[in-house]
Amino acid sequence: MTTRNVVADKLLWQTLDRWKRSTPELDRIEFLKTVPFFDRLSNRQLKGVSDIMFERTYDADELVFEEGQPGAALFLVLDGKVAVEVLRETSTTRLAVLEKGAFFGEMALLDETPRSATARALERTRTLALYRNDLKGLVQRDAKTACQIYRSLAATIAERLRLTNQLVQMTAPAENVGLE
Amino acid sequence: MNNGQEFEQIERERKVRRTVFYLAFAALVFIAGGFLIWKLSGLILPIVVGALLAFVFRPVKDRFRMRWLPHEVQVLCSFAAIGLVLFFAFNTLRKHIPDEEQKLEFKVRLKYKLNEKYRQLVAKPAEEKSNPVAPLIQHEAGPLMDRVNQWLELNPEERDLFLKYAAGYNGKAPIEGKFVDYFRANQATAKYVIPEKTSASAGPSVTSTTTGPAQSSVDGEGTSLESKLSAWILAPLIFIFLGFDNGQIRRFVIGLVPNRYFELSLTVLDRLDDAIGKYLRGTLTECFLVGLMLTFGLILLGLPVEIAVTIGVVSGLLNAIPFLGTVMALVIGVGYALVAENIRPLIPSLNPNDLALYVVTLVVVTHVVDDVVFQPFVLGSAVNVHPLVVVIAIIGGSLIMGLWGMLFAIPTIVVVNTAVATFFKELKAYRII
Repeated sequence: MTTRNVVADKLLWQTLDRWKRSTPELDRIEFLKTVPFFDRLSNRQLKGVSDIMFERTYDADELVFEEGQPGAALFLVLDGKVAVEVLRETSTTRLAVLEKGAFFGEMALLDETPRSATARALERTRTLALYRNDLKGLVQRDAKTACQIYRSLAATIAERLRLTNQLVQMTAPAENVGLE
Repeated sequence: MNNGQEFEQIERERKVRRTVFYLAFAALVFIAGGFLIWKLSGLILPIVVGALLAFVFRPVKDRFRMRWLPHEVQVLCSFAAIGLVLFFAFNTLRKHIPDEEQKLEFKVRLKYKLNEKYRQLVAKPAEEKSNPVAPLIQHEAGPLMDRVNQWLELNPEERDLFLKYAAGYNGKAPIEGKFVDYFRANQATAKYVIPEKTSASAGPSVTSTTTGPAQSSVDGEGTSLESKLSAWILAPLIFIFLGFDNGQIRRFVIGLVPNRYFELSLTVLDRLDDAIGKYLRGTLTECFLVGLMLTFGLILLGLPVEIAVTIGVVSGLLNAIPFLGTVMALVIGVGYALVAENIRPLIPSLNPNDLALYVVTLVVVTHVVDDVVFQPFVLGSAVNVHPLVVVIAIIGGSLIMGLWGMLFAIPTIVVVNTAVATFFKELKAYRII
């Protein structure tokens, strides 16, 4: 971290310290620090990211997004529970239940491809949404922060790809193993 | 009834209450908004102009975005940059605004030269009886020339002032002798139309009928001008406050949108912002290119630099209204070419006597280049509006809001067109319709 960044960080935290100890701003930054997706970011960078995020509250059973819709934003669960489901002709398969600190819909940060699953709030849930074009705008203003986020995104996708590969190797017949 | 059913019943009732509340609130906002717009219609234009200026200059503000600089300082820096550019532009323009003496001199020169050209065109061939069209032109153009002469005629005060300047007045050098000759020749200019054909009573009656209302309309205009000016104070205020906005307005608007339409509204707002921004900035670039081409062309034709720049700037700015820029370039350019003296084109093979013809050619070429090169490359497909719609929109705009209506007709159509197209496309993409 350069001296200028250290000074900027110090100034920011001095400003934040002047506020009440528990403000939505501070709470949100504290929360973002706990999310693995943003673990490489400094406090100042987290403040920049927090400024471009939208807080949304969903009631129980309310849809966050539907399978097949164009994706526009990544969602972080601030509190509550979100189920990720895939709807088939006759049944619904629940892929995961996400809780505080988890994120979903990250592919929307890359392009507009349709959502591959439906996200539904299981209880009253607060989320933070990061819109794709706001992240693109961050590239112009603070390339380093945006670069760190894209790096985390790449790492997440790589990890999921690795898991999928392992799954394919486990389920595929013996002769097809070794596609890597 | 068990607990689950009771909860569902409560939720259903809550939903109904919420829907009724939203509908009632929307109706209230609609009625109050409509009433306010109707009552404060005079403020709409300054607000729109201020907002558009803030929108157009947003890239300048973004240019000053540095993460270690507080937002307010960034905005102030961008305002300082815009202010400096505007200050130098107005200062340069002010230097070229003619003073009282130059205005009188130009009026005298314009009247003399126009009559000289008219006589060359009509009177001489008619005397030689070699041109059968000449009498027809004389018949049609004579009344027009009389009206132009009447318009360019110096009133008694102006005549006295001109003679004072001719002898050297107010610490200025005497006016050139040839202009004094023009002045004398103008005094001797007769009417081109035979007196019997014009009604003798028409002149005085027109004067007598217009004097009274004219005086009262001047008073009325004074007060309305004052109120208009006070309303226009809003434009820079809106510009400044929108300049300081750091996305709060967008966040507020998005905050009002129901969750179901959250991503849709983000996408629609973004696409609209992109399309309108591209159109407005594209139009500005196009106007600049047209103005630049005209300026360089006129300098090549031998016009003085300040005149060429003035014609270029005026025509370039008016080019924002389709066709008007071309018409103005034609009128001002040809008008000046007819009265210009001692013109030496920078292209040696050009004949200075055919300057008006060259100006017409230049304006036509600029218009074609604008249509074929500038618009497709600068604006792209941002403005795919049918020419008939353009004409109807401009006339409609002028009927509703005069010059401002003409200026805003096409941007309004582009905005509405983009908004509707984007909205419907995204509604379908999000499977809402």
